[in-house]
Amino acid sequence: MQQLTQLIVNGLTMGCIYALIALGFVLIYRTVGVINFAQGELVMLAAYFGVTAISIGLSLIWAYVFVIAAMAIFGYLFQWMIYYPLRGKPFITIIISTIGVSIILQNLARIIWGPAPLMFPSFFSLKPLNIGGVLVQPQNIFVFVVTVVLFSLVYLLLSKTMIGHKMQAVAQDPETAKLMGIKVDQVVAGVFVLNSILAGAAGLLLAPIFLVTLDMGSSVLMKSFSASIIGGFGSVPGAIVGGLFLGVVEILGARYISSHFKDGIAFVVLLLVLLIIPKGLFGERVNERS
Amino acid sequence: MGRYGRYIPWIILGCTILLFPLRTSNYYLQIACLAGIYIILIIGYDFILGWAGLLSLSHAAFYGIGAYTSALLSVNFSIPFWVTLPAAAIVAGLFGLVVGFPTLRLRGHYLALGTLAFGEIVVLVLMRWRAVTRGVDGVTGIVPASFGLFVFDNNKSYYYLLIFFILILAIFARRIHQSRFGRALIAIRTAEVTAEVSGIDTNRIKLLAFILSAVYAGIAGSLYAYLFRYISPETFGLHQSITILTMLLIGGGGSIGGSVLGAILLSFLPEWLRFLKDYYLLLYGVGIVLMMAFMPDGVIGLAKKIISKIKFRLPLRRNV
Repeated sequence: MQQLTQLIVNGLTMGCIYALIALGFVLIYRTVGVINFAQGELVMLAAYFGVTAISIGLSLIWAYVFVIAAMAIFGYLFQWMIYYPLRGKPFITIIISTIGVSIILQNLARIIWGPAPLMFPSFFSLKPLNIGGVLVQPQNIFVFVVTVVLFSLVYLLLSKTMIGHKMQAVAQDPETAKLMGIKVDQVVAGVFVLNSILAGAAGLLLAPIFLVTLDMGSSVLMKSFSASIIGGFGSVPGAIVGGLFLGVVEILGARYISSHFKDGIAFVVLLLVLLIIPKGLFGERVNERS
Repeated sequence: MGRYGRYIPWIILGCTILLFPLRTSNYYLQIACLAGIYIILIIGYDFILGWAGLLSLSHAAFYGIGAYTSALLSVNFSIPFWVTLPAAAIVAGLFGLVVGFPTLRLRGHYLALGTLAFGEIVVLVLMRWRAVTRGVDGVTGIVPASFGLFVFDNNKSYYYLLIFFILILAIFARRIHQSRFGRALIAIRTAEVTAEVSGIDTNRIKLLAFILSAVYAGIAGSLYAYLFRYISPETFGLHQSITILTMLLIGGGGSIGGSVLGAILLSFLPEWLRFLKDYYLLLYGVGIVLMMAFMPDGVIGLAKKIISKIKFRLPLRRNV
């Protein structure tokens, strides 16, 4: 029982990361109808920005501030250079373009930071805390707390603020939103910035748990894709529930089924969901001709 | 130029292709063979992306399934080439059915993500299921392809074998493009609802196109296994699917000429740009982004646009 709790706690930590990334691209998908394949590289980039911030002598807390600011700017540039010129083109064109961006970012990072894995410090020691017999890494608790705070902020942003209402309006119907006097392009830019910040947060949280590597983002991104489909593609609560669910299922599968095939579990679940309940747990209407 | 004048460029091209092995190094010949295999892959992928307008990201997985089917049949049971090749095509096609069935009924991005997941699973199984696939070590000791008394054990003879297969598969693809099925694909790509209203069973047609593309990939995989006589899992990952995608985009979807051009260009480009070293992949990414922004129809699309402009001008001048 204790072991099971232990596994679930660890699974929830990874689940938080999946959910953060999934939330970002679900927001983008809802607003502009595009899947962003460069999302994983945003996560990677944030971790490398963090490494650089530490290496130029910033304290950890300022490094976090620096990274989030840098990611916000990067998110704006990303939509300005990549999405904006292609808006209105078929979704395949834009998706492929984001694949191109992910190749660019990965190789740019290789040239700047080199192929060797780098370290990024944590606020906490590696000594696990004993909570009621369950050993928990302080970093895991931190991941959990930060994720909950970010989700609450995003929820408040979407439901209580003007900019959030505008985002919802654009997501539902960009044409009507435009007629109502909403500056759609600005709202879209805002969503890209928000997404970039969420990916950045995921990168910062992930970096101390694993090493900072060139493919750290792409492997997590694949899982986040699965998470968002399990939760129901395009649904904000779905992204969160799907992420947490996947984190737990993955670690239980690795323990009780096969650790060799741990990385495949997410994809098997994804295909099963597509086969059995294609709209996921909180899904959009999946049939295009609806 | 007489009556047959318009064939002259094609004859020159044909002779160049046929005589290429006599004047080149073994290394370049091997790249040419690989380019030939890519041509088959891309022609198959074009059914999905260029004709049906669907984004699949697991073409490399079907390629791998074909390669492993042939290689394992050959190594474990010493089954000859002319049996393992169709076997690879059939197995890849069956996997195409299994993956395509659940994902094709949904919106476009589900296919992209579903196939992505399938591709990852295939590579993982190839790497980790050591008992059958021999894991990351790969499969060695594949017997050279032979057909009766002909043994294709060097690059030169293999090159001609590939030309034979490319011709057959390209002609077959062209027949399909011009058939009722091909027109149905165009209808689905341009206006799916209209196609369905006109009585086209869109799900069935899409699934057939997906299976067909998997079969082509399976054949290409089998030919790959017999070319290098060594295969390993990492050849068949997502990056390979993206390479295939890029080749088709650079050449231009929807035409066999585009597929051939893209495959050849992107096979030789890394050789020509070797001096760029680390910057090559960076440039590759930049190339994809720029292509999408400025030349979404590829080299062939651009050429067609230029030709139609010239043709449009010529008669006007003649009238004056």
